[in-house]
Amino acid sequence: MKTQTYYLNLGPQHPSTHGVFRIILELDGETVVKATPVPGYLHRGIEKLAEARTYTQVIPYTDRMDYLAAMLMNWGYVKAVEDLMGVEVPERAEYIRVIVGELSRIASHMIATGAYGADIGALTAFTYTFRDREYVLDLLEMVSGSRMTFSYFRVGGVAEDLPEEFYPAVKKFLAELPGMCDEYDGLITGNEIFQARTKHVGIIPPEVGINYSLSGPTLRGSGVNYDLRKVRPYSVYDRFDFDVPLGKNGDCFDRFRIRIEEMRQSGRIIQQALEQMPDGPIQAKVPKVIKPPVGDAYAEIESSKGVYGCYVVSDGSPKPYRVHFRRPSFINLGYLGKLCEGWKIADVVAILGSIDIVLGEVDC
Amino acid sequence: MFGQGLLKGLEITWGRMLGKKQTVKYPFEKIEMFPRFHGRFQLDVDKCIACGLCANACPNKVIQMEKQKVDNKQYLTKYVMRIEYCLFCGLCVESCNKDALKFSSVIDMNQYRREWVRLTLVDRPAPESKKTPEEAPAETAKEQAAAGKAAPGKEG
Repeated sequence: MKTQTYYLNLGPQHPSTHGVFRIILELDGETVVKATPVPGYLHRGIEKLAEARTYTQVIPYTDRMDYLAAMLMNWGYVKAVEDLMGVEVPERAEYIRVIVGELSRIASHMIATGAYGADIGALTAFTYTFRDREYVLDLLEMVSGSRMTFSYFRVGGVAEDLPEEFYPAVKKFLAELPGMCDEYDGLITGNEIFQARTKHVGIIPPEVGINYSLSGPTLRGSGVNYDLRKVRPYSVYDRFDFDVPLGKNGDCFDRFRIRIEEMRQSGRIIQQALEQMPDGPIQAKVPKVIKPPVGDAYAEIESSKGVYGCYVVSDGSPKPYRVHFRRPSFINLGYLGKLCEGWKIADVVAILGSIDIVLGEVDC
Repeated sequence: MFGQGLLKGLEITWGRMLGKKQTVKYPFEKIEMFPRFHGRFQLDVDKCIACGLCANACPNKVIQMEKQKVDNKQYLTKYVMRIEYCLFCGLCVESCNKDALKFSSVIDMNQYRREWVRLTLVDRPAPESKKTPEEAPAETAKEQAAAGKAAPGKEG
């Protein structure tokens, strides 16, 4: 009997692709022979838009990349501009940045956890993580006024100081966070069906992960200890005591599990930051019209998806000459095609979910 | 033992079943917004000096304003926000030196048509120069503008 492969188009309107992402699957029965990712459906040309905006006006656009952890997207950009201008950020502003950044990371990981559960079929977990994410969004709304697209960071500091009602609310949240994580562990991680679907599926060997320049939980799931907050501390991260959760096998289960562990660690960082936070200004002395000297700067931060970098070139005018964003989701997707080969269609969904992409960031 | 994890999950969901409700019945019950919430804009026309800083700060050129010079003073005659392009970043509010432009906590700005979303905060004729007694009609126009009515008033 002669059989032949056929093509199946997954996405761009498929819910398990987490947005408008398309994969062309060449299938032999149910087994993937070749997977070709097709990004670009959400491309808005943010890098080009930035060239027609002043340095401050670019900040709201960075929100629209990884809209699940927008604070971190703000951070990478303003850090690059600050490096370019040689601005020293006040200490209190750095602490506020750490607190809101880690809260954003928790919110993003909650989505990753819940949505991954929903991908596999544990839809109940989705409602649990979204319920808890509301707490985080409320906290960030208190601080910045928006729920997702914060635009809270400014070149040289942050827009406003933390409000009074923030402190008791964040303390209450931190007290509840370990319980929340235990709940996710009980609902999803410990579930045997979930484990059967994700353990030993889509294994990324550590050396492959490094060669493909993967980063974030996707790389750490393979056991590579690379977290920018530890290996090359920026801001005030060298003052906090926290662990970097690592996976052993590099499979989908490990990548999923360490996100829950990272939420616990983020909680620890916020706790320490609140204790150590000094008083003082929240904004460095920056001229109203930002005109960095001619030159370029590249700044990297550890976003919730991986290493997020921003490259800014200045020609001395009030508008950036060129802005480039190194988006971790996009680069983590580089290995997806090879990773899916040999697995079944249902595993493709599990593998894609474990990489945790945000299409706003992939397509930029 | 296989199935232990499933039972643990069931325990959590059953435990939550009788717990507190997490949602509100939205149109009938509304959550109060935080003071910094980025809702609909409101403009205090008495404070506004028509300097145009807000229009310059906007990344998307949302704010369109017209002004006239009356007795050596800038007089704001028109202030329209093209909310359909607004990012709600708050850079305009931050740039206002006189605290005239502010966010309110109004969240329901939805309209059936795109043109209706446009927010006309001020639309009034400039007063006659050299202080004529014709101030009364301008006054009422000012009051209307201060109420911050959405463009042509076709709510819902």
